[in-house]
Amino acid sequence: MSSVLIKNESRLGLKLVAPAVGIIGLLVIYPILFNLYLSFFDVQLNGNKTFVGLDNYTQLLGNPRYYHSVGVSVIYLIGTVIGTTVLGLAAAILMNQTFRFRNLARGLILLPYFAPVISVVFGWQFIFDPVNGIYNHVVVDVLNLTNERENLIGNPDSALFVVILFDIWKHFPIAYLLFLAKLQSVPKDLYEAAAIDGQNPWGRFWHVTLPELKFVIATVVLLRVIWNLNRFEDVYLLAPNVETLPIFTYYQAFAGIVDQGAAAAISVIQLLVLVGLIWLYVRKVLKW
Amino acid sequence: MMNKRTPLQSVILYTLVLALVIFCVFPFLQILSTSLKHPIDWGNPSLIPRILHLDAYKELLGLMPAKEIDVPASIQRLLDNPALSAEKKQMLLAKFSSGGDVFPFGRYMLNTFVISFITGICSTFLASLAAYAIARLRFPAQSLMANGVLFVYMVGGVLLMVPLYQMSVNVGLASSAGGTIFSLFLIYLIQTLPVAMYMLGNYFRTIPFSLEEAAMMDGCSRVEAFWRIIMPLSKPMLFTVFIYCFVIAWNEYLFASVFLKQYQDFHTLPLALQTLFTSKNAIWDRIMAASMLTLLPVIICFMLANRHLSGGLTDGGVKG
Amino acid sequence: MSSVILRNVNKSYGNLPIVKNLNLDVKDGEFVVLVGPSGCGKSTTLRMVAGLEDITQGDIQIGNKTINDLPPHKRNIAMVFQNYALYPHMSVRENIVFGLKKSGADADTIKNKLADVSEMLKLNEYLDRKPADLSGGQRQRVAMGRALARDADVYLFDEPLSNLDAKLRHHMRTEIARIQHQYNMTAIYVTHDQIEAMTLGDRVVVMRDGIVEQVGTPMDIYLQPTNTFVATFIGSPAMNLIEAKIEGEELVFDNYRLPATKIANVDMHSLRAHDSVLVGIRPDFFEDSTLSSPSDNLFEFNNIEVNLVENLGFDKEILFKLGGEDAKARLDLRSHVKRQEHISLSVDLNRVLLFDTSTQGMLLNAGEV
Ligand SMILES: Nc1ncnc2c1ncn2[C@@H]1O[C@H](COP(=O)(O)OP(=O)(O)O)[C@@H](O)[C@H]1O
Ligand SMILES: [Mg+2]
Repeated sequence: MSSVLIKNESRLGLKLVAPAVGIIGLLVIYPILFNLYLSFFDVQLNGNKTFVGLDNYTQLLGNPRYYHSVGVSVIYLIGTVIGTTVLGLAAAILMNQTFRFRNLARGLILLPYFAPVISVVFGWQFIFDPVNGIYNHVVVDVLNLTNERENLIGNPDSALFVVILFDIWKHFPIAYLLFLAKLQSVPKDLYEAAAIDGQNPWGRFWHVTLPELKFVIATVVLLRVIWNLNRFEDVYLLAPNVETLPIFTYYQAFAGIVDQGAAAAISVIQLLVLVGLIWLYVRKVLKW
Repeated sequence: MMNKRTPLQSVILYTLVLALVIFCVFPFLQILSTSLKHPIDWGNPSLIPRILHLDAYKELLGLMPAKEIDVPASIQRLLDNPALSAEKKQMLLAKFSSGGDVFPFGRYMLNTFVISFITGICSTFLASLAAYAIARLRFPAQSLMANGVLFVYMVGGVLLMVPLYQMSVNVGLASSAGGTIFSLFLIYLIQTLPVAMYMLGNYFRTIPFSLEEAAMMDGCSRVEAFWRIIMPLSKPMLFTVFIYCFVIAWNEYLFASVFLKQYQDFHTLPLALQTLFTSKNAIWDRIMAASMLTLLPVIICFMLANRHLSGGLTDGGVKG
Repeated sequence: MSSVILRNVNKSYGNLPIVKNLNLDVKDGEFVVLVGPSGCGKSTTLRMVAGLEDITQGDIQIGNKTINDLPPHKRNIAMVFQNYALYPHMSVRENIVFGLKKSGADADTIKNKLADVSEMLKLNEYLDRKPADLSGGQRQRVAMGRALARDADVYLFDEPLSNLDAKLRHHMRTEIARIQHQYNMTAIYVTHDQIEAMTLGDRVVVMRDGIVEQVGTPMDIYLQPTNTFVATFIGSPAMNLIEAKIEGEELVFDNYRLPATKIANVDMHSLRAHDSVLVGIRPDFFEDSTLSSPSDNLFEFNNIEVNLVENLGFDKEILFKLGGEDAKARLDLRSHVKRQEHISLSVDLNRVLLFDTSTQGMLLNAGEV
């Protein structure tokens, strides 16, 4: 039996993954469990804890602000998921055509995705600035749609829509990349067959492209939901008054009257939802 | 695609492309434009400044002549008191300077660069070891680890911020600047490791296994084959992954704000910019210039790494 | 140089046995060729010797030392891969000296070896190029050079010529034979090409489905194949196998009655125990009767209808029916047979082989061979 070679190999394998997996285990898996533990305590910033049982959960479930932020999150998710998917698909179809400067265009539309949130939010804030911004200039001075300059970002209700638009702008490129990769692998003869069958471009899209993209669309939608459920910076930095769940959690944990136990409880509930979604992703999407 | 387009179709196509590109780059142009405008010019909807105004950049980069710090007379008397230690005096003075015009942009940039660079190096290194093992070696729990990584990178930072903060408080890291920065570095590692592992693993799999076998026949151990064959051959991807990790750390705000809030000297750019924006002397040109300078390295990185980055990310299911 | 011994070597993937109880002795300085259809386990066997696959059961010794547990880099083996596996980021020179350097050879040795090898394989002009800038044939030579530069105990070749075109393959085959004799190296060479096996091997190992069917010199295997598999696998065109009834001392098919007593090495007793037998005649052993010198042992197949003639230059192959099956004969250029002609073909009965219809094994007189 020459299991020595196999043993050597698995020993080396374990040695090589140990640092990365160790760090991930220590700083992701353990905190998830620790978070569950913390959710049963009243936790201070300095680390002091007192056991409160299910108080954090009962208080949370009786807190209208929590339900409000759940509602905001749902609107945010619906808007951003539909927006990024549709725009990403449209952009992919567009960029799959041949035209001059295509490479340049393909590069430029990826910029929003890679740019630091902190920089681009200021650009967006300036655009919607009530005094200097181009938005109010166009709406009020050019189109005369209203007489009053509005502070779109200052008002939480309208800010939600700016935040959704911002997220679509920032994250459609990743949907676009996934779609484009798939589109480029759709065999050309499928289109040619459809063209011979007398399909017009719209028919070709409907009968050839869309069925081919079904799985990618499902992937994109699910991944958008998963990421955006946790999205913090893009919302908080652009419009801290739009209270999606992560923002609400952040305020509970680090601002005003600090209640880290409550924040932990919110995270636990959110994690359960997330695990459900990831499970769906792994079972239904990755299986394909 | 296959047929020649009619002129009308061409016009529509180019219009749509142009519209999409403008939609994507307009905010960047707005930032650039405002950063170069004089305050009197802000209300001007045109993107082209009437006069080029570089003061904001000069100020941030420390090219402006230093202004005298205005210190109220009462404080000045305090400062003149010989009983006060030099350190205290500095702190008093700092109150007036930090609230005032001086914004140590260079310092923040250096902070950000250092932590991002170290994160990039360490994460790429650790990820390449782990990715190699997962892609090439057989060992127990291999597929569990490969799938676990996928799971881990879907757990967002918000869910971990409370326990991670509490952990660093509990082990005492949060009580010193060094410990805090170390905590932050570890957090940036876990935020980048999964995708880095994924991208590298996929890349390693494209390298023919027989190259390693040849190296082993030539007298290399497995580890030597990894170092002398796999790593040199993966240079483009290693570079891409480094850039990816660097940019993630460079852009990160949430944990920087949680951990570094009280250590102003060690603020990273996102945190510093946010502080600048909410401080009383928020001035558009200065904010925009700072944004531009924060953005620039990322855009350079992006241009350097774009080729492999787009492909690598789509293979990985993708963070973001 | 060292001998290589495989003792009851087995290899399974999961429960699937791939190599079954393989025994083989490769002597010091011997060139052994493993040949067999693709998928029969040749590469797997070679890779177990190299240490690239672990051995499920059994022992492998190199120079009388069991090396089962030795990692590949400690076995001092050089190997040429089918896809060459040149290091893409290194120049030809670096590729060739990589292993030498690794073994700690001094600068002079490295220089001399490099000069030797690049001279022998005509690589001098390419030393500074990267593999990507070479043609297939040049890459193959670099791969050879990388192995030959090493001072290895054993040299392994896994189908090194299979990616070359026919002409280049022939040329390199000759080169390999020459180099092997020059260096007197111990080598195991894997191929699915029986011509390579015949021309290169001191000894040839014919494998099928993880089992060694026959080990012997090329001529042994050609003239005395142990079964129909070896008989048809080795030799081109393949040996004709015709089923014949046994009637007394005659083997009968079509209208032909072959006198079994005249066939070499046949044990009539055991033959009588059968109803039928497979008669094996190599296409090379047919002669155009008009050209053959009369002899006692010649059997004549008369009235054969030529279905097809393929001219190959010196030789021509003709296709006809024998015992209801397609059969081939190879005649030389003196013959002028034409399609649809009726001719006579003769065969020296000493060259005819008989195989058991059920076991497919060769029927031999006990004590012979
Ligand atoms: N890693 C593996 N797992 C399962 N089966 C394998 C593996 N490698 C090879 N095999 C099987 O082993 C058999 C022998 O393969 P190989 O030794 O490569 O044949 P060849 O004689 O063509 O070189 C083949 O049927 C192949 O499918
Ligand atoms: Mg093979």
